[in-house]
Amino acid sequence: MNAHKPEPLTLSLSVNGQTYDLQVPARKLLSDVLREDLGLTGTHVGCEHGVCGACTVLIDGRPARACLTFAAQMEGHDITTIEAVGRPDALSVLQQALHEEHGLQCGFCTPGIVMTFEHYLRENPAPTADEVRDVLSGNLCRCTGYQNIVAAVLKAAARMRGEAA
Amino acid sequence: MSDAFTEIGRALPRKEDRRLVTGRGRYLDDLAFPGALHVSFVRSPHAHARILGIDSVEAAAMPGVMGVFTGRDLDQWTTRLRLAPPIEGLQPTELTTLPIDKVRFHGDPVACVVATDRYLAEDAAECVVVDYEQIPAVTSIEEAFAPDAVLVDETLSSNMVSHQSLCVGDPAARRAEAHRVVSARFALHRHTHAPLETRGCVADWDDGRAHLNMHIGNQVPHPLRSQLAARLGLSESQVTVMSPDVGGAFGQKIALYREELAVAALSRHLRHPLRWREDRMENLMAAAHAREYECRTRAAVSETGKILGLELEIDEDFGGYCFYPANYMARVIALIMTGPYRIQDYAYEVRVALTNKCGAGPMRAPMAVTSWVMEGTIDAIARELGLDPVEVRRINALGPGDLPYTMPTGEVLEDVTPKETLETAVAAIDVAAFRERQARARSEGRYLGLGLCTVIESTTYGSEFYKSAGIPGSGHEAAWVRIEPSGAVNASVGLMGTGQGYESPLAQAVAEGLGVRSEDVTVHMGNTDIAPYGMGSRGGRGATAGGGTLYLCALKARERVLAIAASMLDLNDAGGLRMRAGHIERMIGEDWQKTGLALTDIARRAYLDPLALPEGVAPGLDFSHSYDPPAMTYSNSTHACEVEVDPQTGAISIDRYIVAEDCGTVLNPIVVRGQQQGAIAMGLSGALLEQVIYDGAGQNLSATLADYLVASPNELPEFEILHHHTPNQRTPAGIKGMAEGGVMGAIGVIANAVSDALAPHGMTIERLPLTPQSICALLQEAATSPAKRTQL
Amino acid sequence: MKPAQFTYHRPASLAEALALLRTHGSSAKSLAGGQSLGPMLNMRLARPDHLVDLNDLIELDSVRVSDDMVEIGALTRHHRVANAPELRRSLPLLSAAAASIGHYAIRQRGTIGGSLAHADPAAQLPLIAVTLGASLVIAGLQGTRNVVAADFLQSIMTVDLRDGELITALRFPLPVGGFWAFEHFSRRHGDFAIVSVALNFAQDADGKIDALRLGLGGVDTVPLRLPEIEARAQGRPADEDTIRELAAATASAIAPEDSAQVPASYRRRLAETLVIRAFQSALNREEGA
Repeated sequence: MNAHKPEPLTLSLSVNGQTYDLQVPARKLLSDVLREDLGLTGTHVGCEHGVCGACTVLIDGRPARACLTFAAQMEGHDITTIEAVGRPDALSVLQQALHEEHGLQCGFCTPGIVMTFEHYLRENPAPTADEVRDVLSGNLCRCTGYQNIVAAVLKAAARMRGEAA
Repeated sequence: MSDAFTEIGRALPRKEDRRLVTGRGRYLDDLAFPGALHVSFVRSPHAHARILGIDSVEAAAMPGVMGVFTGRDLDQWTTRLRLAPPIEGLQPTELTTLPIDKVRFHGDPVACVVATDRYLAEDAAECVVVDYEQIPAVTSIEEAFAPDAVLVDETLSSNMVSHQSLCVGDPAARRAEAHRVVSARFALHRHTHAPLETRGCVADWDDGRAHLNMHIGNQVPHPLRSQLAARLGLSESQVTVMSPDVGGAFGQKIALYREELAVAALSRHLRHPLRWREDRMENLMAAAHAREYECRTRAAVSETGKILGLELEIDEDFGGYCFYPANYMARVIALIMTGPYRIQDYAYEVRVALTNKCGAGPMRAPMAVTSWVMEGTIDAIARELGLDPVEVRRINALGPGDLPYTMPTGEVLEDVTPKETLETAVAAIDVAAFRERQARARSEGRYLGLGLCTVIESTTYGSEFYKSAGIPGSGHEAAWVRIEPSGAVNASVGLMGTGQGYESPLAQAVAEGLGVRSEDVTVHMGNTDIAPYGMGSRGGRGATAGGGTLYLCALKARERVLAIAASMLDLNDAGGLRMRAGHIERMIGEDWQKTGLALTDIARRAYLDPLALPEGVAPGLDFSHSYDPPAMTYSNSTHACEVEVDPQTGAISIDRYIVAEDCGTVLNPIVVRGQQQGAIAMGLSGALLEQVIYDGAGQNLSATLADYLVASPNELPEFEILHHHTPNQRTPAGIKGMAEGGVMGAIGVIANAVSDALAPHGMTIERLPLTPQSICALLQEAATSPAKRTQL
Repeated sequence: MKPAQFTYHRPASLAEALALLRTHGSSAKSLAGGQSLGPMLNMRLARPDHLVDLNDLIELDSVRVSDDMVEIGALTRHHRVANAPELRRSLPLLSAAAASIGHYAIRQRGTIGGSLAHADPAAQLPLIAVTLGASLVIAGLQGTRNVVAADFLQSIMTVDLRDGELITALRFPLPVGGFWAFEHFSRRHGDFAIVSVALNFAQDADGKIDALRLGLGGVDTVPLRLPEIEARAQGRPADEDTIRELAAATASAIAPEDSAQVPASYRRRLAETLVIRAFQSALNREEGA
């Protein structure tokens, strides 16, 4: 144990285009700050060792594990969470495809998958099924067996390219 | 499937998706409880040790810490769990809320820290000093049953906590007269459920009302409430269980676990809301494990491969504690072992061992090993007799003429189609063409294999089953349907979904029974103050017990609605009326014609103008129903897969995977297909990758998701699913249930396929998981000692 | 699973970072991408009093290709190493290996310097650094020093990095030949390999193997380069017999230890197989090109 107790840090965080001023301990994980301090509970915590991918958010537009990031590091960076991607009555193209293809069951891993592919499909708008599987390997799903998720991502990609699917 | 249905069978995408894909689901940890305190458990670093003392002085004085509590503290505020059902051969067990005198596995909780946040709670948990005296750990079935074994539970006479046997017919005589007696062995390894959302709860004691609000993702809210009330000395009126969205369970969220009871007791003691969210290491180490079996079969067979008699031995490693009666899982395996085959002379012996590992519980397909054992035995018969494994299946499989078929254990199979699914799968995968490819590949040093596995899946356990199996419990389910004054349709049932996607298919069952659109029905689950007392979600009972009860309840509601409609239309009776999509229609001539009357009109009459209701009809539109399904319902399937084994690395690739499945009437084909895929994936992931690993000292070596390997999309094939739909004649709407058979079939089919691939080496898979290193070890062994023909 | 307390520092310059590391000595740990350190902090396997965040040192996120070498800043993320066109051209072996690290999101954050400093014996980038003879540029308050990767990596998670020092860059000599391959085997996609093999060579005018560099990961406490096998290959035709002989010699040259789940014999077998496959894939690629 450390004998001293460091003071909480005063931070200004930019999340989903909004600026939040808050005080948090240096060691507090970004995943916990998003969920507990900002009430953005769509980012899920599945393992806290970077394997499951449920907590994936975008940092400056790129996917990252919120559980392997300290909120203190994020001053000056833009964070995007699932709350900024679609709403129940206005799903994103990818979310709509996941719904249609039954690409989720319990839904706990789903926000991490959506965040990963919202970025990836911009980088690679026409992925192959193997490429989708490679990227999806960073997001564990215990329910679906992945087949429908892959189908949904391919469908979303086709729609985003303006192809009928 | 019956064409008569209009709502059942519709391919409706799931209602819950919209909130879940947008991160608006509400899982336990998403619920805000201002001022709630956080709990962290101190866990044993040893597999087996006496607790000599616990010093929490330093921890209790740390910043934010509200208290540190031990097993001794909790023993004052909770009663112990005593499991002593009157089952022959089952030793009674009792356990305290937290261990007091000794720990029984690596990860056993010994103290509970309550603090203002989880970070501070973990800081303090590190500073609780427990004085342990280590005891030798029992880490295998063999060690547990050794004559001088250390006792895991010192109140018992031995580590054999359960021992049952049965002998039907005369298997010894069949063996004596048999052309050949074929022996086979099957060792399934320890798994764990690993739901993406770990366990957790918020206990919110309302001191003014003396009432416990327990928020917890759980499959069986009402039975959990009964347990909580009993263990806390409260009445069932003083406890409400509320299950929010749940991030997967697979059987792990049924029992009332010690941690959850401790949190509830401490919320009451401290008069404060308390929250606990298990971390992943705790989940993998200490939540619940499953499936560790060693099975042996002896089949007496004729020259043609006909099975004359079967003998089965099952040993199970149950871990350190009994959260379920120790015969619970293994006995079902023994009861349904003969499954799709015509066998009458049968004997089993089931022994269950306590060891210094995490306690075992049911995991999606608690009987998962069954199909591997039976189908592996069939393959062993074919191998030893030099017969075609498809022919051995054909000669023994139950066909339409055999049904209903009473298994030697008394279990009755009806409306199942094992022979038909076998033929469908065999035709689809084209066994003959595969054998040609296989022969060509072998000549090039490549090893292809084809596996088959026919599954009889026990889905819905009625009360009669529990009674005859000697397991305490009820198999009934309860539901209510309420048409509100506006015409809105609400319904509820005692199930609780944990990701399956109940909201659409159960709405379809209600909509079908009532005569409205599924989109207009809302099903409420998970709150014990709202839902009727039902037995919850487990096994494959959701559709038959839950959907069936809702359907019957909705039929009751429809009868009343149509009676009111008849009176409003000045008809003598409702005989010529029906409701479709919420509109009353009347048969005129040969046609159904709209009457202009809708459910909204009936509801308005029932609630707002009840004096105008026909004689004897009570106001309101509120219905309840309970239903006890048949002793057991069964679905069936045949899995077929092709693999290639890389002899250099031991890697296994699955080239094709087919399943022909018959689960009767399907409420919602989208959801059913998802369950089939998910179950197969879980079975393959378990057979190929997952393994809870303990070393010889009982240290758990697989407590992260980097060590406990859940399959990624790259290890799983696409699944081709072929459908049969044979309705069960004895259940509402012909529903059978499903969602576990995929696990059973996947384990058996992959093991059989790899054995087929390794056949040129004379090697058979007798032990899972199929790690590449174990495959290479087998090949090495085959190369060095050709006489040794089976896996150690 | 929450990290223990620490004091967080976010230096704006290399000089400031070095000063902080010097001041706090062994009680400080530097944080780059956090993809390995993060889990260790969360599991409290690492518990520094001071965490020095290097992510603002953007000058260390750099790729410079010159006539005789490639210098890659320590803070360069795996995703960039895998995809930067100049790296895919000049160091395709490195790019291919980086593309196989962990998962997509991990590669967005993880850094090349962090991977070397963490020194997992199964990791990709230390293996490639050793195989290609890279050196590390290490800065301290007293100035910088260069260490070759094979000397830098001392044992499992043990490296030649003193208190107060930071890796600032890796320098890769340009490979001599156009034949290269990276082969790795893991049970699950994206996991650390059980065994991995990297190789690079040229062919002389007669098609004989020239200047082979052969490295193996996962067979020892550090990635190994095998000079005796490399020497044996010199001037030999790149045919099946040679490849098989070299692979068998590789399997005999290494001395992996039995671990809880993986017997040494299996690692040996994998090493032999992956060496063969690496040669084949190097030759096939060249044919296809």
